[in-house]
Amino acid sequence: MRLAAARPATALALLAGAAAAALALGLAAGSAGFGGLSDATILWQVRAPRVAAGFATGALLALAGALLQGLTRNPLSDPHVIGVSGGASVGALAWLLFAPEDGVAIGAMLGAAGAASLLLALAWRVTARAQQPLAGAGPVGEAGATVLLLGVMIGAGCAAGVSLLLALAPEGRLRGMVFWLLGDLNGVAAWWPAALALVAALALAWPRARELDLMARGEAWAATLGVPVARRRREALLAASIATGAAVATAGAIGFVGLVVPHALRLAGVRGAAALLPASALAGGAFVVLADAIARSAFAPLQLPVGVLSAAIGVPVFVALLLRGSRR
Amino acid sequence: MRRDAPGALEARAARPWHAAVRLEIDGLALAAGGRPLLDGLSATLAAGERWVVLGPNGAGKSTLIAALAGLLRPAAGTLRLQSRPLADWPAATLAGWRAWCPASWSDPFPLRVDEALRSVAHAHAPGGDAAGTRLAALLRALDLEALADHDVGRLSSGERQRVAIAAALMQDTPLLLLDEPSSHLDYAHRQMLAAALEAHAARGGLVVASLHELDLAWSLATHALLLQGPAGPPGRRAIAPFGGADGDGADAEMRVWAGPREAVMTPARLSRVYGVPVAEVEVCGERRFWVGPRRPEPA
Repeated sequence: MRLAAARPATALALLAGAAAAALALGLAAGSAGFGGLSDATILWQVRAPRVAAGFATGALLALAGALLQGLTRNPLSDPHVIGVSGGASVGALAWLLFAPEDGVAIGAMLGAAGAASLLLALAWRVTARAQQPLAGAGPVGEAGATVLLLGVMIGAGCAAGVSLLLALAPEGRLRGMVFWLLGDLNGVAAWWPAALALVAALALAWPRARELDLMARGEAWAATLGVPVARRRREALLAASIATGAAVATAGAIGFVGLVVPHALRLAGVRGAAALLPASALAGGAFVVLADAIARSAFAPLQLPVGVLSAAIGVPVFVALLLRGSRR
Repeated sequence: MRRDAPGALEARAARPWHAAVRLEIDGLALAAGGRPLLDGLSATLAAGERWVVLGPNGAGKSTLIAALAGLLRPAAGTLRLQSRPLADWPAATLAGWRAWCPASWSDPFPLRVDEALRSVAHAHAPGGDAAGTRLAALLRALDLEALADHDVGRLSSGERQRVAIAAALMQDTPLLLLDEPSSHLDYAHRQMLAAALEAHAARGGLVVASLHELDLAWSLATHALLLQGPAGPPGRRAIAPFGGADGDGADAEMRVWAGPREAVMTPARLSRVYGVPVAEVEVCGERRFWVGPRRPEPA
């Protein structure tokens, strides 16, 4: 499918249609058998919140991926790379270890906020030390790589924290903790915080899409076009941190979506943040809902972690896209 | 009107192309990575002039171009555009006055040539039909028409360079700063570059471009800035300058010369600064520079 041939509005409409179809399928599928729409309790108490949470989570991760890839000028950036999801994992596991199990989202949120604050503070220091050449533009420098490396370091620290917590965990709690790490929509407490975070992150980043595009082509060059580079960088980083933190807090560390969805959309011809940010949200949401629908029904009544399915679908699709792209 | 109130008044008072552009360099000193590059450069650059920046590797050409763009804070001295210190210009207003074309680009994401040019927009840029007309004219002027729907990441180095030049011209600013715009260009496309820059100056623009080719610099420029650089010429003691003792202190570090091309680009001085023998020759009535082989440095 070449979305490049279509206008951005057409591409977005196509993706919105696909997302609606995925939502319908997600509502229809489940361990109680396909369909089951007659049972209002299952539909509205069990499936609808889960589908909504899955959609919001996927949308958040893909949106964060699209933002971070542009911000670091690196198509291999991913929400997990900047360490925010690592912080959320540490927070959630600490909560699972030391506190009652049903408040795990609070622990994840706190962990994500901690890692994001650390990253923002360090990134601020890096950019503030750079020269301040243009009135109104703020410090300019190719800080993308530095921010990326800071994120990787925070992530590495968090990974050690996760190992420590797993080593400390008693047998009885270990299984729940490991499943949480795999990425799981099974025990989703509430879907609306993720939806709220999606609205906030989009509202923060989407209006600046044109300027973010210019920055992705070169920060100093964007500054000569009048873009307040340092402020835009902070805003985009904040939006990505909100999105990642909320996604991980809702459904655990679902890997892969943030890296692959924006990349696949670009290979399919969606370009420019104005189209890519909403398209990533729609496609990422649809992707996770579909993966979760299969995870729930394929081995019913056993439910697989959605992270397993997202990788099982995503890896071959992505490799195929890459091979096709390099042949062009 | 523009939203940021502090800049609004100036934006009205000085619209690009409505007043003759004028860039004053006053006692400029630049350093890069803690290393001083040049010191005490003063010159006034005015509308209609085409300046080339010459000098050996590491002399500070790119640093000077970036400083003139307002991207670096000088170690000392002042830069004034329209009599107003460059550091006081709001970035959004300055974007309508000067365009900067860096020496190299990386293109991490897919981008078509026409998209790359069309997206060069700022507060003062013409929109709609005017932008489309300008885009078409620039694609023609730099021989990019056949490449308009190609991805910039798949172009050759010379083709990518032409896109970068076109993007700088697309910004439609009086002051045009180009860092090595002729790199990777073949002979025909260098002449297209020269023609585009001449046209820019002829309509009241001011061009500053760093170059390495003396012949191209001579044919392109009205004025020249020659930078000695901190290192001095390679093996400078070994050079016997052509044309007498006109080296006028080229042995000293960080010398700079600024002025009309005839006054600055003398063979003796070029020999000293570049560390190779340079002679003037006349070919078909045109002035050309002959560059000879380096002499081995005496023990």
